[in-house]
Amino acid sequence: MPAIVLDSDKIQDSVKRIMEYGGTGVLKCVQCGACSAVCPGVKAGFPVLCRLLIKKLLEGQFEELVEETSTWGCQACNRCTEVCPQGVRPQEVVFAYRRYQASELAFSSSATTSQMNLYGTGHAVFTEAGPLREKVGLPAKAPTSAYDEKAQKEIQTLLDNSPMGELGLF
Amino acid sequence: MAKVGVYVCHCGSNIAGVIDVEAVRAFAEGLPDVAVARKDLFMCSDSGQEMIKQDIRDGLVDKVVVAACTPRTHEPIFRGALSAGGLNKYLFEMANIRDQDSWVHAQDPEGATRKAKLLVASAVGKAARLRPLEEKYVDVTKAALVIGGGVAGIFSALELAKMGFKTYLVEKEPSIGGVMAMLDKTFPTNDCSACILTPVMVEAGNHPNIELLTYSEVEDVEGYIGNFNVKVRRKQAYVDWARCTGCGACAEKCPSKTPDEFNMGLSNRKAAYIHFPQAVPKKAVVDMAHCKSCGGREIGTEPKISEKTGKPLLAPCEKACPADAINRTLQWDPAGEIKEIKVGTIVVATGFQVMDKGWFKEMAPDNKNVITALQMERLISATGPTGGKLLRPSDNEKPHTLTFVSCVGSRDEKHHTYCSRVCCMYMIKQARLIKEKYPDVNIYMHFIDVRSPGKDYDEYYTGARKMGINILRGKVGGLEVLPGDNLRVLAYDLDACAPVEYESDLVILATAMELPPTAKKLAQTLGLQFCGSNFFKELHPKLGPVETSTEGIFLAGCCQGPKDIPDTVSQAKGAAAAAAVPLCQGRVKIEPIISEVHTEKCSGCGICVPLCPYNAISLKPYAEKPRAIIDITQCKGCGVCTAACPSAAIVLHGYEEDQIFAQIAALTA
Repeated sequence: MPAIVLDSDKIQDSVKRIMEYGGTGVLKCVQCGACSAVCPGVKAGFPVLCRLLIKKLLEGQFEELVEETSTWGCQACNRCTEVCPQGVRPQEVVFAYRRYQASELAFSSSATTSQMNLYGTGHAVFTEAGPLREKVGLPAKAPTSAYDEKAQKEIQTLLDNSPMGELGLF
Repeated sequence: MAKVGVYVCHCGSNIAGVIDVEAVRAFAEGLPDVAVARKDLFMCSDSGQEMIKQDIRDGLVDKVVVAACTPRTHEPIFRGALSAGGLNKYLFEMANIRDQDSWVHAQDPEGATRKAKLLVASAVGKAARLRPLEEKYVDVTKAALVIGGGVAGIFSALELAKMGFKTYLVEKEPSIGGVMAMLDKTFPTNDCSACILTPVMVEAGNHPNIELLTYSEVEDVEGYIGNFNVKVRRKQAYVDWARCTGCGACAEKCPSKTPDEFNMGLSNRKAAYIHFPQAVPKKAVVDMAHCKSCGGREIGTEPKISEKTGKPLLAPCEKACPADAINRTLQWDPAGEIKEIKVGTIVVATGFQVMDKGWFKEMAPDNKNVITALQMERLISATGPTGGKLLRPSDNEKPHTLTFVSCVGSRDEKHHTYCSRVCCMYMIKQARLIKEKYPDVNIYMHFIDVRSPGKDYDEYYTGARKMGINILRGKVGGLEVLPGDNLRVLAYDLDACAPVEYESDLVILATAMELPPTAKKLAQTLGLQFCGSNFFKELHPKLGPVETSTEGIFLAGCCQGPKDIPDTVSQAKGAAAAAAVPLCQGRVKIEPIISEVHTEKCSGCGICVPLCPYNAISLKPYAEKPRAIIDITQCKGCGVCTAACPSAAIVLHGYEEDQIFAQIAALTA
């Protein structure tokens, strides 16, 4: 592993940019690791999430991480925020960094698929559950955008007019 | 015309780094009433003080203004310089251009300099109108009160008693000993806690100068340094302690059970009980909240007579007592009794509590095999619920994998932001004791970082690593309950940058130390303040660590902040020394900055009487009419009466009307 060259300008720039993207709590982090202990993403093999992502950002590695795919492993469960003793809100940091990655078109392919799904059905992940629903006495079609063209249209309009739309994914 | 000397301090760079000291000095020189204006790098240094003294001796100045730091720490120093120079020390006024100016306006040097000029002008305005004041003295009661009978209170009381002062030691539990009596062994020497504490408890119990008031609480405190009147409520024990020999026969026979506080709820005690085996005093108590009044033996009623034998039917506790100390026919007052004592000084040593595990939902608090570290102490103690055998609570089986979790509620903005200071070390101690006794037990300890700054502490910690205790850096995120009462630990290894998961049989949480909620009432009774961490606040974090803002009241032990036993004992002995000073001096000074009634102006309306927060004012006949009079020993100089008096008959010395108006005029000029 190459040594990290600590550079105070780079560190300040990294902190400033992650905060501008919405990761406002990074400086509160004491690197206890509780977030990573409960993170399903870290467990699933995406190590640069929560604690390690914050550590790297605090060492000025903002641009170096742009191709990092771990960040796209975050499932937005927010357990990190629940256990964090310092109010860092690690998930916000992950999402803030994703915003930067997206602006650089540095998506992972897994993220592209879910974005396309979202655009098409209104769900990033959608599973057809008709038979199971009927088995437990529910109508086969859930009242969701997946079966509602008008709702899909609304979601698409929203996405087209969001910063996501500007990326030209859809 | 007053001759005011103004002395502006650089305070190194504390003030001069922001404020243009020379500009302030030059401005002061031009103010009315100012005779000389000087500056110095450190006004509080010998040379700085000498400058003031020399100007007084030379007849250049007769009032002094020092523009420097805070009067809280430095007013006494400069007043001393005035006295030494031959001036009444109350002809002195301080302008705080550091704490209230350079420190808070570091980004605005020009504004800070302008503000410094205003503060100096205001101080000069007041100083020019100051009048000499006279100090008075009152005799002190040569006795002390120590509140709290833990290791801190015991040592404070013993020190005071050994110095020859009558000392009352008040403890809310039936025995002294506190939390230390509950501990198994103590780091870093592995001394048995009871073995080193019991002799000291006995010494305190037997010392001719110590009067133990256990099972008692301080209810009310009136008075002031040197002369406190204290009401202590002795809770009702329903046992005649003069007769009780501490044999424990009543507890043996009592059928009513309730969780044992001494064992942190891990076992039951009886309603009639003795606090713990080494209790001092070793006396029984009947806990009426859990007493079943067997056979209808309600307190204060005559016993039924047996039809068979014709003898009275007594409750098991009464029957069992060989010393006739329990007599339920007597009209015991449930409220206990009030004992009034008079003391000169008070040491507060009320200790701490550990947080309950129920606060931490992510740590499976409902599972029996998740325990607090204090419960662990009882679990490995020879006098504990398992007789010192390591058995886990859910099934009384020996656990094979143990997990220690640090910083539970400490260093956590949702609970307490402070470090509880002792958890790292006592967890390592518990782990070492267990590993020594049961080498086959796997121990995993999770720390954010290990804090071991003390004599022989780090060696104790590295020793634990050598013993094969696994130490991981990284806070535990949560626990999951598995079938069979085992727990899955969700942790993280910071060094390996990887999550860690394993099954554990018993998890020990190092829950934070905090003040118990009862401390609030005591703080109100004594006039104590709280610090940012919600412990009792000392007078000064470095220079007044045992004093409080209420003169004559001192702090010792964990009620002032988390600390280990060596620090607690040091502070306890320090507090005792400080509390002995007024008792040794035999008299205490009455601050002259207090209010006084000009009786001839008083109309006797009595408005001031109920307004006084210190009950210092009463109406007394003067020329056959009621007139307000202020007890100088009670008055604290708050000025409420002065502001409220419709006849302007009350003057607050040191804050007189012309002085305050001069200050306002200077600030608004």
